[in-house]
Amino acid sequence: MSHFQVVSYLVSESKKWVLSLMPAFIWLLCACGSANREAVVFAVGGAPAEVAFWEELLGDFERQSGIRVEVLRQPADTDQRRQGLVIALNARKPEPDVFLMDIAWIGLFVASGWLEPLEGKMDAAPFFQRVIKMADRHQGQLMALPVYVDGGILYYRRDLLERFRLPGPPATWDELLSQALTVQKAMRETNPRFYGFVWQGAQYEGLVCNFMEFGGSKGGFSRQEDGLRLDTAANRTALAFMRDLIWRHRVSPPSTYTEMKEEEVRLYFQAGNALFERNWPYAWSLHQNPASKVKNRIGMAPLPSSPGSKPVSTLGGWHIGVSRFSEHKHQALDLIRFITSYDTQKKIMLRMGWNPGREDLYDDPDVLSRAPHYRALKDVFQNAQPRPLLPYYTQISAIVQRYINSVLAGRESAENALNSAQHGIDALQQRYEPK
Amino acid sequence: MNDNNHFFSRETWTALGFLLPLAGFVVIFILVPVLGTLTDSFFLDVTYRPRRYLGADNFIWLASDPEFGRALRFTLLFVLVSVPLEVILGLIIALVLNERLPLRGLIRAAVLVPWAIPAVVSGRIFELIYNYSYGAANYLLTTLHLTPEPVNWLGSEIGAFLALVAADSWKTTPFAAIILLAGLSAIPDDLYRQAKVDRADFIQRFFKITLPLLKPVLIVVLLFRTIEALRVFDLIFVLTGGGPGGATTSVSLFGYSYFSAGDFGYGSAASVILFIMAFGLSLGLIKLGRVEQGLMP
Repeated sequence: MSHFQVVSYLVSESKKWVLSLMPAFIWLLCACGSANREAVVFAVGGAPAEVAFWEELLGDFERQSGIRVEVLRQPADTDQRRQGLVIALNARKPEPDVFLMDIAWIGLFVASGWLEPLEGKMDAAPFFQRVIKMADRHQGQLMALPVYVDGGILYYRRDLLERFRLPGPPATWDELLSQALTVQKAMRETNPRFYGFVWQGAQYEGLVCNFMEFGGSKGGFSRQEDGLRLDTAANRTALAFMRDLIWRHRVSPPSTYTEMKEEEVRLYFQAGNALFERNWPYAWSLHQNPASKVKNRIGMAPLPSSPGSKPVSTLGGWHIGVSRFSEHKHQALDLIRFITSYDTQKKIMLRMGWNPGREDLYDDPDVLSRAPHYRALKDVFQNAQPRPLLPYYTQISAIVQRYINSVLAGRESAENALNSAQHGIDALQQRYEPK
Repeated sequence: MNDNNHFFSRETWTALGFLLPLAGFVVIFILVPVLGTLTDSFFLDVTYRPRRYLGADNFIWLASDPEFGRALRFTLLFVLVSVPLEVILGLIIALVLNERLPLRGLIRAAVLVPWAIPAVVSGRIFELIYNYSYGAANYLLTTLHLTPEPVNWLGSEIGAFLALVAADSWKTTPFAAIILLAGLSAIPDDLYRQAKVDRADFIQRFFKITLPLLKPVLIVVLLFRTIEALRVFDLIFVLTGGGPGGATTSVSLFGYSYFSAGDFGYGSAASVILFIMAFGLSLGLIKLGRVEQGLMP
């Protein structure tokens, strides 16, 4: 055998070897793309207990309908959930077929053409009409349905207000401040960690929700001819008040602007270390847990407002939609019908303490006898304020979060920060909607 | 038959066989993404609009975006403070470990531990130290009555910056130390013995022998650390989230915030700037290394 023969033998052998592996490679590449062509894929995230609840619910649906559902587990973090969906939908993947969307992203999903219209296929009548009108219906087309809704509310320690002979929960922010100062001063003698008021001030979406509520009905984002306005007198006052709660009056902890998100705030209040708490309704059932230190000592009220302004609660919540790229639209619609049905929504309400998007459930005698606080919540959701439904809201929010947080950190004045934030918003609008 | 009649000789075939997988890897995982990002940076690439060519508009917007300017300044400052600190600390550790210590192998392995921990995990560890309410630092301060109230470590610009530098140094100093240690052990002992005969003291030996002979390795360490520090992301994402008030937002984090919101063009433009900076700095450092090597006898 000459050298050449050896080489050509080796080459031809290696070719055979490569060729024989080719189908395996191709199969490997394709296999990644097709998980299960038969099942409806439902993307949902949240805490482990929440995902487990969804899986149980979907098991019921599979038994009733004979349709297979596969759960695509997402993280608990809202931004990461959005990102996972954006990547799949931007690539026009047929999966997931059905997913939950935070109310703040619906504008983006609709404008990107990712949602299958539900108009004529679903009945929107039993849901909160204001929510449907402001978040789910776009140019006459129903695009999504609210699975559960959220709005900021004020939790207070009923026992402490009684002990210090203070009249009911505060109606204005000034009242809240004076009650917080009185109680905090007295409580500090025995509890050095006690603070008057805890709320969400960390640099994340929740901060924008809190900010809108401090501003009341005159504050927040206002839509004007030249675009979105944030740099207003009401907002300057509100932002200065937020900063003063931490730095001047010291009724909110210094960690407000570094650590305080929903859960940190809930745990702080639940440990018995605060008089007032701003949070979403989910905290109620957790506060009333047997292990909670504030069980049966708390009350729930609408958030305070400023004189001449009505109280505002920021509308949150998760909405369900069908992907336009889904290959199982019929089955997907069946799944949505099941999830938004009276019975399923009642189960969500009683088991998880979430607030269903269906308005009719808030009058259900069975629900009210087991959870009377839903009576008060109906009113909150009927009046809640949405955030701007722009496809680039996320970017606007990122800018607003940074500047507001910067004021709370004591790094710049409310005037300067709102002015810079306004410039940032204007620049964004010019980039995305050039006139 | 003769091998020369063929276009490829046996050696070429063999070499190609070894090189092709690597070349394929470079093309698929490095060249394609880099060129893709570069292309994207010239487009308005948002999910809710048809893709539109913008020319250099994204870069012009970046230049006038105060938040990008701030991210750029923060990133450069972070590189400028953390890299020299890590290399100097790494050098000191390497010098100590190069001596004949008892249990040297064990100590060397122990020093490497922080490097083996993923940045996200070490970020969480440091969060447990700095946390205002339940952090170890505040627990010590308040139980020892050193301060009347807990300190909000991550609450000020300078505090958050130093916290990040400390966490980053803790994690990456071992990397510098191990590479420098390898460089140190390659320096022949004869040189030191000779120097001792010539009565050169420790300082002289360090500056006349150790440092010049270590320079090529030092350049490599600086190169790796500079590039990594420039694109710092995971530690900040976990520890400060870019706060307070955006004060610790790095260029990577800035770009990510646009990517994750679906604006791929603008995010890509920020990444391209970062790429150019890393590329320029690397070229500079490599050139510096070559010159130094050329000067050596």
